[in-house]
Amino acid sequence: MSDGQLVQILEGNTFVVSDRNGDIDASPVDATGLFSFDTRFLSKWVLTLDGERLNALSTDDLQYFETRFFLVPGTGTVYIDANLSVIRQRVVADGFHEELTILNHDDKPVSLEVRLEAASDFADLFEVKDKLKKKGAYHHRIERGRLVLGYTRESFARETVISTALPAKIDEGGLTFKVKVPPHGLWKTMVDVRTEFAAWGGGPSQPAIGAGTKMARGLDKWLQRAPRLECDSDSLRATYHRSLVDLAALRFSTRTLPGRSLPAAGLPWFMTMFGRDSIFTSLQALPFTPELAQTTLLALGERQGTRVDDFRDEDPGRILHEMRYGEMTAFEERPHSPYYGCVDATPLYVVLLDEYERWTGDTKLVRGLEYEARAALNWIDEYANLQGNGYVAYKRRNEKTGLENQCWKDSWDSISYRDGSLPGFPRATCELQGYAYDAKVRGARLARLVWKDPEFADRLEKEAADLKRRFNRDFWVEDEGYFAIALDVDGRQVDALTSNNGHLLWSGIVDKSKAKSVAAHLVGKRLFSGWGVRTMAEGEGRYNPIGYHVGTVWPYDNSFIAWGLRRYGFKEEAARVAAGILDAAEFFDGRLPEAFGGYPREMTKYPVQYPTACSPQAWSTGAPLLLLRTMLGLEPYGEHLIVDPGLALGIGHLELLDIPGRWGHVDAFGRGRIDIKVDVKK
Amino acid sequence: MTETIASDPTANFFDGLAKRGHEPLLQNTSGTLRVELRTGKQTEHWYVTIDKGDIAVSNANEEADAVVRCDKALFDEMATGRANMMTAILRGVFETEGDLGLVISFQRLFPSPPKSVYARKIR
Repeated sequence: MSDGQLVQILEGNTFVVSDRNGDIDASPVDATGLFSFDTRFLSKWVLTLDGERLNALSTDDLQYFETRFFLVPGTGTVYIDANLSVIRQRVVADGFHEELTILNHDDKPVSLEVRLEAASDFADLFEVKDKLKKKGAYHHRIERGRLVLGYTRESFARETVISTALPAKIDEGGLTFKVKVPPHGLWKTMVDVRTEFAAWGGGPSQPAIGAGTKMARGLDKWLQRAPRLECDSDSLRATYHRSLVDLAALRFSTRTLPGRSLPAAGLPWFMTMFGRDSIFTSLQALPFTPELAQTTLLALGERQGTRVDDFRDEDPGRILHEMRYGEMTAFEERPHSPYYGCVDATPLYVVLLDEYERWTGDTKLVRGLEYEARAALNWIDEYANLQGNGYVAYKRRNEKTGLENQCWKDSWDSISYRDGSLPGFPRATCELQGYAYDAKVRGARLARLVWKDPEFADRLEKEAADLKRRFNRDFWVEDEGYFAIALDVDGRQVDALTSNNGHLLWSGIVDKSKAKSVAAHLVGKRLFSGWGVRTMAEGEGRYNPIGYHVGTVWPYDNSFIAWGLRRYGFKEEAARVAAGILDAAEFFDGRLPEAFGGYPREMTKYPVQYPTACSPQAWSTGAPLLLLRTMLGLEPYGEHLIVDPGLALGIGHLELLDIPGRWGHVDAFGRGRIDIKVDVKK
Repeated sequence: MTETIASDPTANFFDGLAKRGHEPLLQNTSGTLRVELRTGKQTEHWYVTIDKGDIAVSNANEEADAVVRCDKALFDEMATGRANMMTAILRGVFETEGDLGLVISFQRLFPSPPKSVYARKIR
């Protein structure tokens, strides 16, 4: 992981971030520690031998949930001819389980004091992020062979239980072992750290012991079940493998749907359910692991809004933005129980439901979620028409802790006019109209096919056609030939050129006559960096190649842009975007970051990573998967899968074998034939 | 059915459920939920049986797929939209046991907070 830190993860939202020694020594504001359900259960976990910290020789990430640290006594840069080595092997599962081994390489016995220093601040992730103070009280208990660290605020209670297999001297600050290691012998113990809380169906259910092998088997099965990729490019193969492993790590289980998982948004801050991120990632992964989409639809459906609640920005039919379980959420100091301030997730929910059916033929799920889908479609017209002009728009009702920007480009300056000035609220961003259009078209298909309601289907189709007509009139920036990023509250175009145009192609809302000009902009000099499409075009008032949503390149964004280009027949342009992003992936060892700099490719020669704490991130992980789909031109058609490859020359030969779907399993082949005229890298 | 008096929001809530008969919000839900509400040393029990959206309410002892437990005063608040079930669970004042999917479906039935206004009207 970056910054010399390690992240491990299991059961979705339990994770450990430590240094290369395996130690945790967190300040109140950094994200090291053992976290579970958005609470830090250990902020200190430091191993010493005779009072001295250890030095890492090597650190191996065995699996995403398991790490081995090889350590020797002595710190500093001078090499010490150590007669001892220490192995810490850590598996994350409802807390973590650590096996501690000390090897004596000398021919004399050695006596040691082994100490594990432990403490917890029980910080809520929000407190770590926003540097806030705790309001409750700490306690500890020393029981037989156990140290219990605890925190309570009124009835809110969280505990960390540390126990050991061998006898230890236990005090409130940790465990001490008096150890004698024979000549050329070893000493070994297990230490167990469990996170406990009574809320939400009880605490952890399974012991950590043995979890490692169970998880390893689970990961093997996951990798075996996914389609196999055969290709000339080692880099692409590595990226594909990395994506599948990271996606496995990002799986998150909710307690209401045991045994199933959906993608969480990212590590370490976003290991939770996010409407938008879970839906986009499920769409990207559909040809590979359709069960993620199924769980996403069920889990988001369960928590679909039913009330009008200003604090949570909730409306009936609205799909949630983010779910959290920490102290600040519990005491309603934050609205994430769940928070609904997101406008795109609701139409995208219907889009995912339809796309899922097209791939899997699972009409049973579509029938089961009829109410939820209808409620989502109803929300679009009933609750999102905030400008009163029939367009989907957003404006938060929770002005204290709600989100100001509720579209995917959620930073304060992402939506601007060409001159850089910012519109007021409500804002109707263009991609939202595309999603709403697509939701209506797809909803109509499902209404006819599954819900057997042709009248509803007719109505939706009429509304979609009307929306498309108005949209192509009102959002079209005539002099430049692209779509404005938004309409302001006066109906004026917010006219900066942005990557949102690619999402419009994906949704199908763009008039055929306008598509060519849009595609030309997407791969033109102002938007295309050589690696990918920038979030905002060079030359706009707010353009900044390292501005979060105003010039950086987002792999996720590009994967949907490539899909959009394919939808309108721009095979070559889609191949260019795919090739650029996959070339960039090589520089990140197959793990694409959330975003990278929008500098021209010929200027930097390598993609400059945008500084961010979150990696891997789900929709970046999903980007190579969707790009494989767009390169091979995979498209369900009735009971068949159409394959229509469009690959850049440099990709060479490509085979994706055993693609699951309503057709059973099929293989797809392609060969790079498109000369994309991008500078060869390096 | 227990005696309903106007000042008992919980009883009103369950009466409302019983009268509703069918609730499309719960069309995918089936199961029996036992609600245990404490007032001092006394506990009252409500049983809500859902059969694909058809709701029946009773006080008779039945086999339950899930159990929820809290102070009656808190349930009164939830029954009028003033308290939220999920945050009550996280604070440890609302206990759950058994089928959590059923519990999550049940929480859909609580009303909106009284002060909320339609987004459309605050433009």
